[in-house]
Amino acid sequence: MAASNPKSKAPAVSETMDILMEISRLLNTGLDQETMAVCLRLCENGVNPEALALVIQELRRESASFKAEVSGDSTLINFTGRS
Amino acid sequence: MALRKVADEQLQTVSELLYRLCTKITGLNGGDVVHHVQYAHTICSSQTSTKDEDEFRIVERLKKQLVRHGKERDAAHFADLHRKLQSQMLLRNRSAILKLLQELSSLDDQSQQAKVSRIGFATHGIPSHLVSTPYNAIDVRGIKPQERTSALTLSNASHYTGGSSGISSIRSRDFSGGDAETLAQSFIPSHLATPALGLNRPTNADPHANRLRTVSIFSRHVENKENIPSSQQAANSLPRGTLTHQGDRTTHQPTEQGILKDLVYVLQGISGHWIKFDTIADAYKVDNESGIPKVYKQELLKISECGWLYMKIKSYIDHHSTDKAFGLVGQSFCAALNQDLTEYLRLISILEAQLQQDLDPGMQETSNLTLSRLRVWTFDPLKRLKWLAALVDTCKGKKGGALTSTIFSYTHHGDPSVKTLITHLLTWVSQPIYATLLRWMYDGELDDAYHEFFVASDPTITNEQLWRDKYSLRKTMIPSFITMDQASRILLTGKSINFLRQVCEDRTPTKGREVAMNLDLTQAASMFSQDQNSDFQQMLDKVYELTSQHLLEVLQVKYKFLEHLKAMRRYLLLGQGDFIRHLMDLLEEDLAKPAGNLYMHNLNGILETAIRATNAQFDDSDILRRLDVRLLEVSPGDTGWDVFSLEYRVDGPIRTVFTPECKITYLRVFNFMWRAKRMEYVLAQIWKNQMCSARHLKSIPELSLILHTCHMITTNMVHFIKQVQYYINFEVLECAWDELLTKVHEAKDLDYIIAAHQVFLDTILSRCLLNDKSRDILQLLRTLFDLIIQFETAQGVFYEAVSSEVLTREIFEKSKKDRTLKGEWETNEAIEKEEKKRRKGFLSTIIPSTRAKLQVLSTAYQDTVEQFLKMVASHPDASLRFLCFRLDFNEHYKVREPRGRSSYLRAK
Repeated sequence: MAASNPKSKAPAVSETMDILMEISRLLNTGLDQETMAVCLRLCENGVNPEALALVIQELRRESASFKAEVSGDSTLINFTGRS
Repeated sequence: MALRKVADEQLQTVSELLYRLCTKITGLNGGDVVHHVQYAHTICSSQTSTKDEDEFRIVERLKKQLVRHGKERDAAHFADLHRKLQSQMLLRNRSAILKLLQELSSLDDQSQQAKVSRIGFATHGIPSHLVSTPYNAIDVRGIKPQERTSALTLSNASHYTGGSSGISSIRSRDFSGGDAETLAQSFIPSHLATPALGLNRPTNADPHANRLRTVSIFSRHVENKENIPSSQQAANSLPRGTLTHQGDRTTHQPTEQGILKDLVYVLQGISGHWIKFDTIADAYKVDNESGIPKVYKQELLKISECGWLYMKIKSYIDHHSTDKAFGLVGQSFCAALNQDLTEYLRLISILEAQLQQDLDPGMQETSNLTLSRLRVWTFDPLKRLKWLAALVDTCKGKKGGALTSTIFSYTHHGDPSVKTLITHLLTWVSQPIYATLLRWMYDGELDDAYHEFFVASDPTITNEQLWRDKYSLRKTMIPSFITMDQASRILLTGKSINFLRQVCEDRTPTKGREVAMNLDLTQAASMFSQDQNSDFQQMLDKVYELTSQHLLEVLQVKYKFLEHLKAMRRYLLLGQGDFIRHLMDLLEEDLAKPAGNLYMHNLNGILETAIRATNAQFDDSDILRRLDVRLLEVSPGDTGWDVFSLEYRVDGPIRTVFTPECKITYLRVFNFMWRAKRMEYVLAQIWKNQMCSARHLKSIPELSLILHTCHMITTNMVHFIKQVQYYINFEVLECAWDELLTKVHEAKDLDYIIAAHQVFLDTILSRCLLNDKSRDILQLLRTLFDLIIQFETAQGVFYEAVSSEVLTREIFEKSKKDRTLKGEWETNEAIEKEEKKRRKGFLSTIIPSTRAKLQVLSTAYQDTVEQFLKMVASHPDASLRFLCFRLDFNEHYKVREPRGRSSYLRAK
């Protein structure tokens, strides 16, 4: 919906986005605005939220281990602990 | 914002979005990220089917989570934000994004850490695996559950397991629910129950569900699913709490397992190690030595009540199932009880299998069966057993219909579960009765070897008496759901069929018999659910109507019932006037003779002549053939008038209506009417005499006074007899006859006709003063009749004397003339003197004596009539009182006897 009529809905979209970001912050999900936008669109396209959550967590873990390989174990713990 | 707009335009498809997501999170790009995207794609496409959770629940859970972590303010803020979000109306799938946020939320740092480490441990190297077979959905699914649970928070996880077990148990209940529709059969679907029954140890997941199912089946809650979740939950949650601390406490006593083993035995009515049956107290007792605490003792005894009840019912069944005289109803009662007990035993065996499994050291599962669970599971069976035992108690010594009545009285229980239990039992029990009833109503066969049916047959009664005496109702055996009216209707229907078959020799089957005979016995329920549907009543009415109609038709057409009835009326009740009159004319001479001198063949001949000479000859020859003369028993001094009577012979089925008793009644009525008729006849003769001899007697003027008296008396008598005749003919016979005819035409069954006929006869009897109550009046009437006969004789004697005198005088006159013709003196002194003397002598002898005689007769007659009037006036029958009016229409008798009148007025 946000995609179909971006101009007229722009203020509403931004407002929705703000609310979602606020909730995300409250729940400490660790999503930034862009990721959030992508996720929102995915959800709107009917992707299962649980699966999506799984994907995100997996990707995070992967990237963390990838980074850990680069810069050591402490980074992993820090990253995951924060997210 | 601008950036995102661009993105919106560019990224349309899911895969593109996923690609973006992967690059964003991993920070990689190009070829490096491809396998991540593939993986993400697989997961997303494989997980399309999940349960729907509504937004509200997610929001509530999130709030709770926040509150639990001490962030009440955040929770409030969150609620606020959510409200705003709701008002936006922009998102199509609000719950999805919320769910995503919930999944990703990491409030609880510790659990999050632990989880993440576990994930890392468990799914190490999955990506590479996935890369090799990128779209292998099966592999992914194999891993999936673990990962999914790991991704969930704690509360969510517990919710999941609860949900899944709920689903499975509901599904199993659906199974049994489908089977339960065939109620008469076993309640447990055999393919589900056999694994547990066949001593195969149930698999790890099964016994719980199995047991639950059995409990629920046994308690017949299957039909209303509403009850199940609650009871199941109770069963689920209750024991769990008590499980651990109970196990702790009972370790130093006989083990819980041991006690449970005991209990399982006790439930089957067998004494256990610690719990034993005490025959003196007629109860189970816990061994005092066992050291089981008092609290548990009570619990144990409560559970052991099931065993006691089981034993009680079992002993009843054992006692009666071998008893042949107990009858079919009793047998089916036992069978129904047995069926219930089998269900109960099935539960026990499942419990036992469960216990065995628990005792098996090979299984490391902790105890599944506990005392509390046992109690929960035996709760519903206990209730059922209690009712069954109560039934058994009240049904002791009863059988057949009485047994059914007793069970039926329990169906009015308010508790629907009890009601269904009893109704089910009753359906079984009433089946034999229903079968017998159908056979009886359609075939007239009484298939009742054990005297359970409410129609009884007396084999010693012959066909003659079949209708009246052969069949009767056994009042005690009438089930209370069948009303007295219905019962008698059932009796009547079967009796009609038997009557048709055996007496009328008519074998036409009742319409619809084939259909009815093929009907299954499940219809038995229609007997005791009459307040809900009227099938049974309709069936009864239909069969009853058909059968009765058929019977009446056969009687009317084949056996000419109405013709015979009319013939009776014509000949026995003197309806055929010309015939009776002619018969009387012909018989007069014969009947005046003493009764001993009568000969049947003479009388028969006269009867034949009378028939030929009158309209009676046009009657059906069959009817005339039946007409006969009958002489009553002769007592000394009787004349022919006293013993003569007509008879109408009947045979075949109509004898049921014209019974010997009826014939005697007809005979009595005939006699009475014959007498009255004779009086009329006699009086007519007297009058004729008077008229004929009036001219001659004028020659003797001295007699005029006596003649006048004679006239007076005759007139009196004629008036009286005329009124009596009128009364008999019109007030009594015609009225009753008309009533009878109407009733015969509108009759629906033979009993009705018989009753109407009986009423007809009774009415005639009572109104003709022939019953016991009017014996005195009848006596007076007889006296009156006698007086009339006396008067006839007296007048006859007088007339004879007078006519001879007249003749003598005529001869005297003639001799005078003769002498004149001879030329002698017509008369001389000597002759004159002699003649005068003779005349004087005659007058002096005949006049005073006749006068005196007439005086006496007249007085006696008057007195009797007055007395008669007095009694009739006070008679309860209204029509007789009208006779009084008619007799005393000009108050002639009132003047003479004012007291009689006043007494009449008083009586009025």
